[in-house]
Amino acid sequence: MEVKPSTISAAREDFDREVLRWMDDVYRFAMSLTRDATQAEDLVQETYLRAFRSWQTFQPGSDARRWLFTICRNAFLRNLERERHQVSIDDGDLDALSAMQLHTSMQSDGTDEALARVDLAPALTAAIARLHEPFRSAVVLVDVEGQSYEEASEILGVPIGTVRSRLFRGRRHLQEMLAEYARDAGFALNRGMAAGDGHA
Amino acid sequence: MSQLWDYLDDELTQERMGAIRRHLAECSRCHPHAEFAERFLEALGRCRCQEEMPEYVRERVLERLRDLGFIS
Repeated sequence: MEVKPSTISAAREDFDREVLRWMDDVYRFAMSLTRDATQAEDLVQETYLRAFRSWQTFQPGSDARRWLFTICRNAFLRNLERERHQVSIDDGDLDALSAMQLHTSMQSDGTDEALARVDLAPALTAAIARLHEPFRSAVVLVDVEGQSYEEASEILGVPIGTVRSRLFRGRRHLQEMLAEYARDAGFALNRGMAAGDGHA
Repeated sequence: MSQLWDYLDDELTQERMGAIRRHLAECSRCHPHAEFAERFLEALGRCRCQEEMPEYVRERVLERLRDLGFIS
């Protein structure tokens, strides 16, 4: 005779069905945040233990993957106390304009042209690892994981405007690192000087 | 052009998307910025971790959850 499942075993089944199946995605997200296999492994374990402890707070029918990403990102931040400084000024539009100014200077010294000939992904992967919080999480969620501003806002627990400004600033920092990478690699041509094209 | 990122992220209304698309097609100053930004975002999208999760990580998590009595 079949025994009717208890509430506890039903909860276990739900947890199995809703949460365990996302472990590969959580691992990939943890790798994107930490860029370190050992740290990512610990973060996956911590995420699942926290998910288990707060399983009662999960709203049935909501997005379990997004819920796990939220837990994972919060656990990552807790482990990264020293980098937990907040943005003093949140102005996405200013950061977007600064990114354009940076690109103008990259056009002037030829960095832009040189970067057009190389695959930017390896340099960007290294740059993401150097990006500080809270910018890294915003960039990883939107640019690497392909989440919308709204989805990232839910995961990060901040308004969409804050996601936007963190994202834009994160992108600007990454572009600065790209420019630095190009200069270090000797890509910059000092075209403005050589061609005397009058760029400021 | 402060909305370039919003445009490339497809986060604007259709009307604004259309207006910026038309502007970029005509403006020789903004067009290269948009091209560079697009290439930059495309490369960022390729930074997604491609590594498979090692099987022992899953086993370790499951074992811990079993120890806690949550899964059988």
